[in-house]
Amino acid sequence: MAQQLLNAIFIGSIYALFAVGYTLVFGVLDVLNLAHSAVFMLGAVIAYSLVALHGAPFWLAVILAVLACGLLGLVIEYVALRPLRRRQAPPISALISTIGLALIFVALVEQATSGSLFSWLWQDGANSVRFPSGTVPNPTLHLAGLTIEGTKLGILVTTIILMLVLGSVIRFTQVGRALRAVAENRKAATLLGIDVDRIFASTLFISSALGGLAGILFGIAISDISPYIGRDQVELKGLAVIVLGGMGSIPGAVTGGYLLGLIEVLAFVRFGSNIAAGVAFAALFVMLIVRPQGLFGTRLRERL
Amino acid sequence: MRNVARGTAIALGVVLAACGGGSSPGSSATTNSYQGKTIQFGAILSLTGAGGVYGPSSKKGMDLAVETINKAGGVNGAKLALTTDDDASDKAQSAQVAQQLIQGGQLMALLGPTLSNSAVAVHPLAESFKIPILAVSTTGIHIVPDCNYPNATPCRFVFRDSLGEQTAIPINIMVYAAKAHPKTGVLMVANDDKFSSDGGKIVAATVAQYGITLLDTVEFSKTTADFATPVTRAVQKHPDVIFITSLGGIPAKIMIEARKQGFTGQFLGGNGFNTAVVSRQAGDSGKGAESGSAWYLNNTFASNADFVKAYRAKYGSDPDQFAAQGYAGILILADAAKRANLTFTDLAGDRTRLKDAMETVNINTPLGRFQFTSAHDVKQTVWVIAMDGNGGFTLVQSVNAS
Repeated sequence: MAQQLLNAIFIGSIYALFAVGYTLVFGVLDVLNLAHSAVFMLGAVIAYSLVALHGAPFWLAVILAVLACGLLGLVIEYVALRPLRRRQAPPISALISTIGLALIFVALVEQATSGSLFSWLWQDGANSVRFPSGTVPNPTLHLAGLTIEGTKLGILVTTIILMLVLGSVIRFTQVGRALRAVAENRKAATLLGIDVDRIFASTLFISSALGGLAGILFGIAISDISPYIGRDQVELKGLAVIVLGGMGSIPGAVTGGYLLGLIEVLAFVRFGSNIAAGVAFAALFVMLIVRPQGLFGTRLRERL
Repeated sequence: MRNVARGTAIALGVVLAACGGGSSPGSSATTNSYQGKTIQFGAILSLTGAGGVYGPSSKKGMDLAVETINKAGGVNGAKLALTTDDDASDKAQSAQVAQQLIQGGQLMALLGPTLSNSAVAVHPLAESFKIPILAVSTTGIHIVPDCNYPNATPCRFVFRDSLGEQTAIPINIMVYAAKAHPKTGVLMVANDDKFSSDGGKIVAATVAQYGITLLDTVEFSKTTADFATPVTRAVQKHPDVIFITSLGGIPAKIMIEARKQGFTGQFLGGNGFNTAVVSRQAGDSGKGAESGSAWYLNNTFASNADFVKAYRAKYGSDPDQFAAQGYAGILILADAAKRANLTFTDLAGDRTRLKDAMETVNINTPLGRFQFTSAHDVKQTVWVIAMDGNGGFTLVQSVNAS
């Protein structure tokens, strides 16, 4: 059981890191960015290709991949969101356009094989690959019957540090204050002289960089990098997490991530896989009925 | 007298015409001209999605066979053409692609689909449209002849050249049990995929006769993100063997996770192991994992060496079982087409003639000498192979078809 609890904490960290990106965009822009799962996947794919295809050291690959994902966030903002916002399209249009962008990103990767246009990025088509062995040292500790992997421990520490940094940025810096102002009331923020478009772009950059980093960590810890890791493994879970935690709330996303990891693992151990997924979503359902705003959500728009 | 002669000539003509029209399918002599014609086949493959690990290999094998046959003059002078469509490993999409291929073109026969899960939707469709379909990678239960299971009526237009798991898995377990005498096992099975759950049923039904006790059956979804949880449950039972019946990258992920958690026993599995992609992904963790395969790289069958050589020349890599089965699939259809006396004008009739000719195929393929059984299934040598830790396989033992 203790091992299963550790498993829950590790997968919960990845859910949390992924969901924070979702919730950040939702909190500020009032839009669900469903291309976030594709950016998660691209983070892993770009880091993998830099290491495996171009021989870059891992630390450099991580920095470049996270930056690239941040830039993809800007692509999402400029291509899928801003034009619709200008035309005052309803939020559902933005949701659909981000789904479209996600489909394009996934298709680009799954069609890339050696000799194709994107072979510099990916050569394995629909296949799943993993970082070459030894890319990241993974000392494994066997302690009192428990297996603790270095990489997973690293993920836990990274997640906690990043959450603390993000929390401080939002709470104590000028950009953070501007973010909160825009989340609170877009019009009032504009009247106060805040460049709302710039805040939107920054939000997309930060959330996508975090999403990309979550993807890289997933690739290391789970040994699974394919065009589908975002879509199949974390997209719906991420949505569940932000509903559990409270839409738009960062502490909510973190708590929700760990909570979902725990619910899933306990349900698996207790009831088996047939019921595990159902139990996780039943918890979601109960949350929506009992506390629709989620654990940390507020009825007012006091977000972030 | 002239009238008698004219009457005799007319009667003779009628008899000859009747003979021509009714020439027995499957006979080696063709009377219709194939020159300048094109024989079109369509393949429904999983090039993306979970089956994307297998479909591209099948496609490469098929493309190579088409190219080789056309270069050698085609089929009685007719060229082969192959249209391949991706079903994205999705059952509904697979049926949709099949429908389009059947109704949209002049296809004589279909190949595929890649996954058993999709075959249960596609094969009955082909049967109802009376177009021959040859499965080249589906290994589940009730693929042939009872494609409309639970309806037991044999499907007449459905064939497969892929070795069923009902043959491969028991042989794999038998070979391992004979040398290592394992006592306990845990079965890890994906419960939301036909191929995987069929494999699980076969393992569960087989182990007892070799003295192996199944300590637990760990079911999981094929979309599980982190296999740590199900693997922990399996590893904590301390089994001698972990049986894995799942597809795509999942067997590799399970092996990697189990080794991380300290499992030192044996992995046994099914057809999901049998591609270079899975062996490569599993790497060191998969070394020694055994499965029953329909094909082995260095088998000494007459046409295997040519196939391997041509494949390496075209693609710069070694073929795998799926490529060999795809390649054999085209050889089988081409041989049938050669003997079917196709008219190229009567599509429905041609499809039936091709089907009839497929039943009498008897040719050399990289899988060995190939003939269909009366159930349209394959009967062939099973190669028990082990992952070599570097993306390849080594031969453990070959077992001849009983």
